[in-house]
Parts: sequence; structure tokens; C-alpha cells
Amino acid sequence: MKLWNKIRNLLNREAFDRDLREEMRIHREMAEEKLNQLGTPKEEAHYAAMRAFGNPSLAQEASRLQWTFFFESFFQDIGFAIRMLRKSPSFAAVAVLTLALGIGTNTAIFSVINGVLLRPLPYKDPQQIAVMKENESLPNVIDMQRQTNAFSVGGGINAQPMDYTSGPEPLQIRVGLVNSGFFETLGIPPVIGRIFSEAEDLRGGPRLAVVSYPFWQNHLGGDPHAVGRPILLGGNSYAVIGVMPETFICPRERADVFISLWVADPKTAVDRDVHFLHTYWRLKGGVSLEQAQADVATIHNSLAEHFPAEEKERRMQLIPLRESLVGDVRPALLVLFGAVGLVLLIACANFASLLISRGFARRQEMLIRAALGAGRGRLIRTLLTESTLLSFAGGAVGLLFAHWGTRMLLALRPEELRWLTGIHMDSQVLLFALAVSMLIGVIFGMAPAFVAARTDVAAALNEGGRSKTASAAGHRIRKILVTTEVAFALILLAGAGLLIKGFSRLRSVNPGFNPTGVMTMYLQLPAARYAEIPKRTQFRRDLLARLNSLPGVQVGMITDIPLGGNYVEYDFVIDGRPPIPEGDEPKVQTLSVMGEYFRAMQIPLRAGRNFTEMDREGQPLVAIANEEFVRQFFPGHNPVGSRIRWARDTGPPRWITVVGVVSDVKHSGLNQPTDPAVYTPFPQADEAWKRWMTLAIRTDSSFSGLVEQVKAQVWSLDGQIPVSDVQTMEQRMAVSFAQQRFYMFLLGAFASLAAILAGVGIYGVVAYTAGQSTHEIGIRMALGGQRRDVLRLIMAEAAKVTSAGILIGIAGALAVTRAMTGLLFEVKPGDPVILAAVATVLALVALVACYIPARRATQVDPMVALRYE
Amino acid sequence: MLILQTLSRGANHGYGIAQHIQQISNDALKIGEGSLYPALQRLLMNDYVIAEWGVSENNRRARFYKITATGRKQLSHEKRKFEALLVGIARVMETP
Repeated sequence: MKLWNKIRNLLNREAFDRDLREEMRIHREMAEEKLNQLGTPKEEAHYAAMRAFGNPSLAQEASRLQWTFFFESFFQDIGFAIRMLRKSPSFAAVAVLTLALGIGTNTAIFSVINGVLLRPLPYKDPQQIAVMKENESLPNVIDMQRQTNAFSVGGGINAQPMDYTSGPEPLQIRVGLVNSGFFETLGIPPVIGRIFSEAEDLRGGPRLAVVSYPFWQNHLGGDPHAVGRPILLGGNSYAVIGVMPETFICPRERADVFISLWVADPKTAVDRDVHFLHTYWRLKGGVSLEQAQADVATIHNSLAEHFPAEEKERRMQLIPLRESLVGDVRPALLVLFGAVGLVLLIACANFASLLISRGFARRQEMLIRAALGAGRGRLIRTLLTESTLLSFAGGAVGLLFAHWGTRMLLALRPEELRWLTGIHMDSQVLLFALAVSMLIGVIFGMAPAFVAARTDVAAALNEGGRSKTASAAGHRIRKILVTTEVAFALILLAGAGLLIKGFSRLRSVNPGFNPTGVMTMYLQLPAARYAEIPKRTQFRRDLLARLNSLPGVQVGMITDIPLGGNYVEYDFVIDGRPPIPEGDEPKVQTLSVMGEYFRAMQIPLRAGRNFTEMDREGQPLVAIANEEFVRQFFPGHNPVGSRIRWARDTGPPRWITVVGVVSDVKHSGLNQPTDPAVYTPFPQADEAWKRWMTLAIRTDSSFSGLVEQVKAQVWSLDGQIPVSDVQTMEQRMAVSFAQQRFYMFLLGAFASLAAILAGVGIYGVVAYTAGQSTHEIGIRMALGGQRRDVLRLIMAEAAKVTSAGILIGIAGALAVTRAMTGLLFEVKPGDPVILAAVATVLALVALVACYIPARRATQVDPMVALRYE
Repeated sequence: MLILQTLSRGANHGYGIAQHIQQISNDALKIGEGSLYPALQRLLMNDYVIAEWGVSENNRRARFYKITATGRKQLSHEKRKFEALLVGIARVMETP
């Protein structure tokens, strides 16, 4: 009934309004007549009746409200808001742009967080996949699979560079050597064709290749009939049997093509000692990670028992897939999210500040509307509708920004974050943007709306349309907002400054070697055939001789290459020093080298001599120390000629004479301290278990062909030795930089944004103050005031706001940047230089932001200013 | 309730209703027009009253409100509620 009446009324709205107006007019006339009859003069009766009746529009409005649907006024408000915003496009543009920047950056970072931390990984039942923290050999994987009760399937991959020679020119691509369980564990089927079966994944099996989607697109022309096509990899022809989907990506590796490890490299496949596979394991349903870990421990114990030489010293530890991928990215992402959160708050403060100014500008309008019968609630609602509309528009444009932003993020991400492909806008991201926009519109529109709608009509009219009280309240809020903005901007700038300083520190770290032009690769001598040390020494000597015959190279080898992540430490004793109780001896990083290692790496000799051909087996034992070793153990002395020995050596003491000192090398990473290190010649210091080496080859020409030539030389000596981990030293260096640079760039961008937004905020406040005091300025100027004094007067206020903001910001930065400690290199969170620098930058921004409007204010013609208003 | 009670004695127009309530209550109750008309609209919408244009006692065009059957039912319902409330208040006030 009610609804029906409402609808009928809606269709008949005009007649209804007419009736109502008419009825009220009659009411007044009746009252007037009555008064008139009672003896009041006609004129007076008219006004008395009017007064008695009150505000007719308000009564009419209230009456009408009884009939309307709630959404009618809502649409009305929206329509009105759109009209109002169209009338002041610059205001709307600034507001929308400000919000879009804030919402856009947040949405972009949120979509990354969503992709990295929240969304399931792009594998089948990803929570069922565990990762072995340590690398494994294929025999271990096979034994695990045979003995396990916890896993349904497991698989391993080693990605390595290989020559692809079916294209127009030979290319080095990355090939994943896998076992058949690899794809099955990840649970992603190919889009075309099939993957290897278990029956094909064995020694001497058919040469088959599964290719990635990009490889299929770029090198096979996206040919739908690519299955069966031969491709040449490392000189062998493989038949393509399948194409993986576009969404497929290896968890931690980069591979263009996948081939069977058994087929491609049978000699490594059987070697239990070559722990080079990243392995993934699918838990059986209902098996927890702890149970699986217990199962793995049992298997490891039995492996260690059967193969003590290979397995005894190792560990096997399972971690969830996501943890293995996200690990150290999480804190960085949270810092970034915090940063964009601050940017958003600054943007919101600007938005609120804009709304307040607009509220002042529209005082007259509000007064008129209030006088015409608009209730306060209704006024507030109108203003809120407007602010929400703006925030949604900001959100929409922000989504556009976020779209570009995420693309840019993905393009710039460092190698470690390469697996982050599933980052795009999904419903969650949209929902996030929507919720943020909505909250901003309502929360930040609220205060300005209340201030603007604080309309005491009578008082305002008495003040001649210039209500000082409301504008003062609004202005105070604006000043607080700008102070907050400045403080937040300072925190962000401080964060960015710290990262920049850390990065430049990192960049200027001297690695101790010259990475340009050095190619490295890893070799491991099979235990079976190289059990005796002389045989290994012979192999090394022969290999070096052959490699030296290559034109334009300097060749050396070392047990563990710098930045390669490994080293061995020995306890040692110095000759002639008081005895040290066993177990308390100092430790030193020990590295064996051979050939022209120091020359190939260009590690300068600081004292003494380099190793020579004569420092070989049977000759007096010699060593070369690094400078850190001298600093720690021979401070102020020349150690050349001193003797040391390994504390754990058995048998008669074997003293090693230090014959030289080389400069320090950043062995464990550019951001790690240098450890004391001692180099010994391979022929003199080779332990029975030490069978690996990394070749370091400096070439004065390009790397192309070099790897193949080296491999050919290795295999001409022994065709059964795998060559792996082929990387230039520069690539190894780049990994150390990339992540830092990425975070620095992002935080720097956000901080700049914050500084600009804060500048806009200051500009707004000063412009408003200047505008309000045009009158006063005019008087001052007319009375002979100096332009400079007036300028100072206006800028004093901005200075107050800015300096308060900077002080609060410094306190905030001291507290907040502590969260960044893990991201910083050689910089303390509270670095005073950085704080001073960013405070200066921000002060400069503020100066510019307030100078422009202040100057404009002083340039008014006094006469114009006096006539103003 | 007051408006419905007034109208239960016969159809009347807005001004008449206001005057009636004011007179009967000895000026104790003064209905502002700002609340009279919204209230009338509410009654109209709920079909407690119907409105018709007619001619007033002194030959003026006026909109007359007439109570409906639903309106009478609502009136008696509200009266009962109000009486119960009054009784309650009276008891509280009379208890020393």
C-alpha cells in the first residue's frame, strides 16, 4: 500500500508539488485573514502569518521527503555533484589526480602483495608442494622417491645455459635439466603435446624436449604443429614433444626448454655427489610438513649410512614452496606497502585540504541554500556525495595508474623476483581500490563537509558573508593536515635517502677483483676416478695448460669463487705465538688456487710474491694471505715469512710459510664483511675430499664461443666431467645489486611523489592565506609597506607549518625507518646526514611551494586589493 | 494521533486542523506548520486519510482531509497505547 502510494506519487510529482504549495499558501492566507479580523493591520498580518508559518520551503521539503524513495535524493545529489564539479574542472582535476596518485601506487603495490603473499602460487594444490632447502643429486631424488611414504611425487631441475643452433644464429638459451617427476610435482599439464614419460626418462632414452610458451612463440613461431619438430641443443637434436602453458613458470629457475637430465647428461645423472638439482616434492594428502620432514630425516640417515662420503656431512630440510620463494621479499614488500600507505595519507590530506578551501569558496552558496531551506544534514550529504564521487573518480584513474605501475614494476623487478608473473589486477585488487576510494571519500570528506555546512545563517548574514569562525576552524584543520603531510613526506624521504645511501655504498664497494671480462664455470671431478690427489693435480695442470693455449686468455682456478656463496674455514695456529687451547684457535677462510687466478681476477698483490709453478707438491708449503688476515693476526707487521699450520692436521706439524699478501676480496657478497682468508696452491693443499673447482677465465675478446671452447678442452681430457654454473663475474655482481636498486628506485619514486604532494599542500594553504589577506596586504602596501616584509609575513606561516612538520617527521623517521634495517647496507636507520639532507630537500620544496603564491599576493595593486570584496 | 482525532470529528483542512488543536488544548499545543504538513503527508501515504480539494466555510478553496476506515482503526490503536502510557505515568506520579 505504502509502496504503491509512493510510486503513484512519483508519477504525479508535479501535481503533488503544486497541491502542496497551494495548500500552504492557503494556510497562510487563512491565518492572515484571521489576524486581520482580530484587528491587525493587513500588512502586518501578512508578515505575522509568514513568520508563524516558518520556512515554507523547508516545510515543503520535509513533506515531500515523506514520499520520496531514499535513492531519489541520492541520484539527485550525484547529479548535482557532477554539475558542480563540471563547473570547477580545475578543482576536480587536482583532487582526482591527487587521489589517483595515492590510490594508484597503493593498488599497484597491493597487487604485488596480493600476487606474492596472498594469492595461491600458480601450481596445482600449491600448499601441497614442499621444497628441499639444499640442492640434491638425481640418485638421491630417485632413492627418496623409492623410500618415501610422505610424497606422492618429487622432481628436480637444474637450469643451465646451452647453445641453441636451430635458429638463424646460434643462441645461448637456458635449458632445464629435469626428471620426469618435475612437471608432475608442479601439476601443470602442457597446452600442446605431452611431457616425458617415466619410460623415456632414463639413460640413453630418446632426445625429447618440452618447450616453454615464450620459446615456442619466439623460436618456433607459435606453430601449432610444433610437436615433432627437431631443435638443436648443445649440438644434439631433440624432438619437441610439448609446449607448456603461458602461465607456467618454474618456481626458482629460468628455463626456455626442458630436457631429461638422464638423456642429456647421463654422467652427472648417476653421480650422487653432484648436488645441483632444485627439488620439489608433492606431499601426499593428509601428510603434514613435519611428518614429511621426519620421513626425509629417516631416508637421509639411511643414505648417509650407505654413502658416507657423499651424504654424511649434508642435511635435508623441507620448507613450504611459498616460503622458499618469498622468504626475504616479504619484509621489503611490507616496507613498500607502508611507504605507499603514507603516500596515500598525504594524498588524502591534500584532498581534505582542497575540500576545505572549496568549502570556503562555496560559503555563499551554502548560506543561500541553507536560507532557502536546505537542512544541515542535507547539506552535509550533498558535500559528502561530492567528495565520494571525487574519490571514486580518483580510484578509477588510480586503477589506470596502477595498471601501468604494476607493468613497470614487473619490467623492473630484479632476477630474484622474476617468478612474480601472476601479478595483475584481479577482483581482490579491484575490491581493494574500491574500498580505499570509498573510505577516503567518506572519511576525508566528513570534516570538510561539517565545517562547510556549519551555517548559522543569521550570524553569517550579519557578518556580511564572511564568517570568520568557520573559516578559522577550517584553516586550522588545513594547517594540521599540511603539517602531517610534511611529516609523512619526511619519513618517506628519509627511507628513500637511506636506501640511496646504502645503494651508493654498495656500488662503491670494491669487490677486490675486476669482474669485467671474466667468465667462470664450475667443475667437479668424479670421486670414483679421481680418488687420489696426484691424479687430480695432473688433471688440473693439464687443463690449465690446454686452456692457456686458447688465444687471449688468462686462466686460473679456485675452490670457491667469490660471490658464489661457498667457502671452507679452517682453524689455524701461528708459529711462535703462545699456545691456544684446542678448540679456541682462530678460523680463517681457506681457498686453494692454481694457475693465474690472481691475474685473471686482477686481485693485486700487496706484499711478497705470487705463487709460481715451483710451489707444487714436494716443495716447501706456502700460502698467500689477504689484508684482513694481516690486520687481524699480524697488525702492524709484515707477515711474509711467518708460518702457520692447520690446527686439525694430524701427524707431524706441517708449517706453511706466508709468502705474499693480496688485497681483500668480498667473498661472501658485496654487502658482507671481508673475512680473513688464506690462499694455498691446489697441488700442496688438496684434501682428499676436495674435488671441485671454479675456473676463472679472463678474456680480452667476447665471451661468445668461449664456453664451448672451454667445455671442449675439459672433455678432451675427460669426457665424463660436467661443466656447470657458467656465469660471468659481472652476472654474479649484478645479482648483488639488482634487488637493492629495485627497492631504492621504488621507495625513491614514492618519496618524490610524497614531497610533491606535500608541496602542493603547502601551496594550497599559503595561496589561501594570501587570498584571504589580500585586503590587509593592500592596506599595508598602500601605507608604504615593503613588498619584502609582506612576503615575509605570508611565508612565516608556511615556515611554521613546515618546520613543525619536519620536526615531527624526523621523530617519526627515527621510529619508523628501523623497520628497514634489513634492507640497508652500511647505513644506520637514524643516519643524521640523511635526515639533515631530506629535511633540507623538504624545506626547499616548501620554500618554492609557498614563494609562488606569496609573491603573487604581493604583486597585487594596492588599489585593486582595497577594492577587493 | 491528534490530527486523526481532529479529523474523526469531520473533514478539515490544514489550517483548520492546526487551529482546532490549538483551541481545544487552550494554546498548550501549537502545531508548527513545519511539522503539520509532513505529518499529513505521512498519514496520506499510509492511507489513514484521504485529501480532496473543496470549498471552505468562508468560500475559499482548500484541501480537505478526511479520515478513512484504516485511519480510524489506527486512531483507536494509538489511543489505547497512549492511554496505557498515561495510566503508567499516573501510577508512577501517584506513588509517594
